[in-house]
Amino acid sequence: MILAWAKRKWTYFAIAALIAFLVLIPFDWFLGRYTSIMIFVGISTMVTVGLCLLMGYTGQVSLGHAAFYGLGAYFSAVLSKTYSLNPWLAMLIAAIATGAFAYIIGYPIFRLRGNYLAMATLGIGLIMWVLFNQLSQYTGGPDGMHGIPYLSIGGFDFDTNFKRFYLVWFFCLAILFLSQNIVRSRTGRALRAIHGNEAAAESLGINVTQFKVKIFVLSSVYASLAGSLFAHHLRFVSPQSFDFLSSVKLVVMAVIGGLASIWGAIFGAGTTRFLSDEVLLGLNQYPQLDIIIYGLILMLVMIFMPEGLFVAIKSGTLWLRVNWRNLPAIMNRKRKELPNQMKYILGRLLFARLWRRTEP
Amino acid sequence: MSQPILETRNLSKAFGGLIAIDKVDLKIDTGKITAIIGPNGAGKTTLFNLIAGVYQQTSGEILFNGKSLKHPPWYARAIKRGLNREILGDKLQRHVSAHMRASLGIARTFQHVHLFGNMTVLENIMTGQHTRSKYGFFGAALRLPKARREEEMINLNAMKYLNMVGLGKHANLNALSLPLGQQKLLAVARALATEPKLILLDEPGAGLNALEKRELSDLMKRIREIGVTVVLVEHDMPLVMGIAEWIIVLDSGRKIAEGTAAQVQKDRKVIAAYLGEETDSAEG
Amino acid sequence: MSADLFVQCLMSGITQGSIYALIGLGFTIIYAVTRIINFAQGEFVMLGGMFSYILAVKAGLPMPLALLIAIVIAAAVGAVMYLLAIRTARRASVISLIIITIGAAIFIRGIAGNRFGVNAVSPPAFTDTGSMKFLGAYIEPQALWIIGITFAVTIVLYLFLSHTMVGKALRACAVNPSAASLVGINTKAMALIAFIIAGAIGGIGGVVVAPLQDKYDMGIMLGLRGFVAASIGGFMSPVATVIGGLVLGIVENLAIGLDWGPFTSAYKDVIPLVVLLLILLIRSGKLAAAERAG
Repeated sequence: MILAWAKRKWTYFAIAALIAFLVLIPFDWFLGRYTSIMIFVGISTMVTVGLCLLMGYTGQVSLGHAAFYGLGAYFSAVLSKTYSLNPWLAMLIAAIATGAFAYIIGYPIFRLRGNYLAMATLGIGLIMWVLFNQLSQYTGGPDGMHGIPYLSIGGFDFDTNFKRFYLVWFFCLAILFLSQNIVRSRTGRALRAIHGNEAAAESLGINVTQFKVKIFVLSSVYASLAGSLFAHHLRFVSPQSFDFLSSVKLVVMAVIGGLASIWGAIFGAGTTRFLSDEVLLGLNQYPQLDIIIYGLILMLVMIFMPEGLFVAIKSGTLWLRVNWRNLPAIMNRKRKELPNQMKYILGRLLFARLWRRTEP
Repeated sequence: MSQPILETRNLSKAFGGLIAIDKVDLKIDTGKITAIIGPNGAGKTTLFNLIAGVYQQTSGEILFNGKSLKHPPWYARAIKRGLNREILGDKLQRHVSAHMRASLGIARTFQHVHLFGNMTVLENIMTGQHTRSKYGFFGAALRLPKARREEEMINLNAMKYLNMVGLGKHANLNALSLPLGQQKLLAVARALATEPKLILLDEPGAGLNALEKRELSDLMKRIREIGVTVVLVEHDMPLVMGIAEWIIVLDSGRKIAEGTAAQVQKDRKVIAAYLGEETDSAEG
Repeated sequence: MSADLFVQCLMSGITQGSIYALIGLGFTIIYAVTRIINFAQGEFVMLGGMFSYILAVKAGLPMPLALLIAIVIAAAVGAVMYLLAIRTARRASVISLIIITIGAAIFIRGIAGNRFGVNAVSPPAFTDTGSMKFLGAYIEPQALWIIGITFAVTIVLYLFLSHTMVGKALRACAVNPSAASLVGINTKAMALIAFIIAGAIGGIGGVVVAPLQDKYDMGIMLGLRGFVAASIGGFMSPVATVIGGLVLGIVENLAIGLDWGPFTSAYKDVIPLVVLLLILLIRSGKLAAAERAG
């Protein structure tokens, strides 16, 4: 009986286990040496969740999301350093300003469709990047800004990686829980309805454009908060962190994590960060490997698993649980069929155009 | 008899050079089941789209419960309070959008069902309750008590409509796993969940077998009983003649006849439009 | 502004505008036939330039042969990209296709950067006469090549699209793919051809601009301007694309030459972005009006 209850509530157990795991990471006897990377994973997850919600639920892609991330970082940096504002207040102002900006550009942008919308986001991202570079009297130009103060509560400064780890993951988990609640609610249903069929959603009284803008604003606020935390962590910001490639990396994280998945965002951000930091630092003799891999991931995942890698893995394990008894038979059958299937696919790919008939 | 729930005056819709709806005047009486029939291409779905607010008419007016759907409610109220129309002018005439019409009480279903394939059967209906609930981002994110109470209400209401169409035991299945006939019932339940005063059913009988069509007729009668006016577009003549209390016939964008089933069946113009008194139900 | 400076800006504007026009044509061809925006278009240009250098300088092949092979390689990459990345994504959503082309773009850039290094090198110009004076402005002979070749490509493309069977088939796909397949046009083959043409045109652009170029990472910025040129043509009209490209090039150079307000050369990159956003705004406004009218 208890077992049955436990099986139903397994998500709660999984999340509790995850939190326990996270809490222990910064300790040296556990995984302490990964503390710094995990801080970045936490920050990236915050941005990724917003992007996943945006891309997964409204079906719109944002190719310039690093702009909001950068806005948060720069607002925080400038307000807390140049104007000596309380860093928390700066963070709040940054979030509000970024959200307002997203709101203003949101309505005209979301009247566009598909390709044009993507290009608009790309354009916004590039313009922000150029501004970060050019408005040097505020932003320090291409060399960036140093000396950003720490966040602190009372007299307690978040001055070590250890302390900042908990700060960042507190925010990150809070955002994940809030997003989870939103998705499970009336608002979440409206978003899923929009994703499912816009015309039907509209007929049920859902103001589609307004929702798309709202999610856009929400994702921009998430990105802004993440950017602020980033600024107070590195104590240094520069435009390099917010260029087109950064926006692409965010899309990679979202794609790996699953476009409409929330907890998958941790997976996406985590794998991408570990990929870029750990694995590739050791492979200096293979330059550009990171973007080669990103490109491959983007292509392969979107071709074969458009819902995202994490979601595909989840459904894969679900399928496994259901079908594990038949596995040997299935593998046998696959082994026999595979060569013919490959020949067929290859033949179609290469020679179909030579066969002068209309494709189905 | 009270005022008609829906009225169109001189309604026209042109797509570039193609005139889809040509100066159509019609009245839908409250509480009656009205059918709109006509050969293919007559403009029936376009008419629905105009009423539902998906298209904006090229000219003419649509009145819902006496209020024009050209102006949003606040503007109509301003007009009533005597603000000079010439001052405000035509420029402020805004089209009441589709989602606003849903909250005003106009619901509709689609020819191709358009269910939300990424949700369960029950969730589809709960989405229909969207306009009748209020809590937003903050209530949802923080799971405030008001939000949780509203969610309970939504759940209960959705189950009510689900049982009304007889799909209660499928509540947690994915919406697309139902056979077509039941999907259509689900679509109706979803539209009903918006607690409308008027429901537009676009070819509800298409793809249904005889038994399902009988259930559909019964459902429409039940809908009428709870006080919702039903308008349907249909091709299946026996179904229409059996259930409709008033029939409007369109051809090439114009209204060519209206009346009771008996009257319409004898009307020469209608017969001419269809080239035959009985049409086999064309599967739409 | 002196007449000389004006003419100088005009000439460099036309030169650069021609490149934008070429890249824009690549976007337009693919979009018209397949409704896909190929974010990797700029990479075709990069490949053309890169291979022209490798083949002409490193491998020592005679210039015309090297250029031809470079263009063929770019076209081949376009074909492979279509076959492997796009055709296999059966009925992918718009957002998926966008991400796929971006993935392809950075993949190609990464492989190229990995194999051939990130440092920029330029092949020699096509003809080696010194700069000439034309209407009071100095002009590199390479610039004349650029303008001339762009002109030639435009004419050839026009003739191809209007007078050959394949060209007409492409236009049919652009107008209505389902109707086109109903009359026996193999739309997938047409899509492949569109990608090959776009690759070739991109390659030509790269080959022609490489002697003047001094940056490796030009893919994005050039691609962006080509995109803007194409969007001026609504992605459907090659003529408008070419005109758009030229106009963009001229406006850019004039703005810098005239030193209008904030347009220092550092802000040069903002100009295409502003034009792009203007076009998108106009489009968004038109869409809103159209939506209201149904």
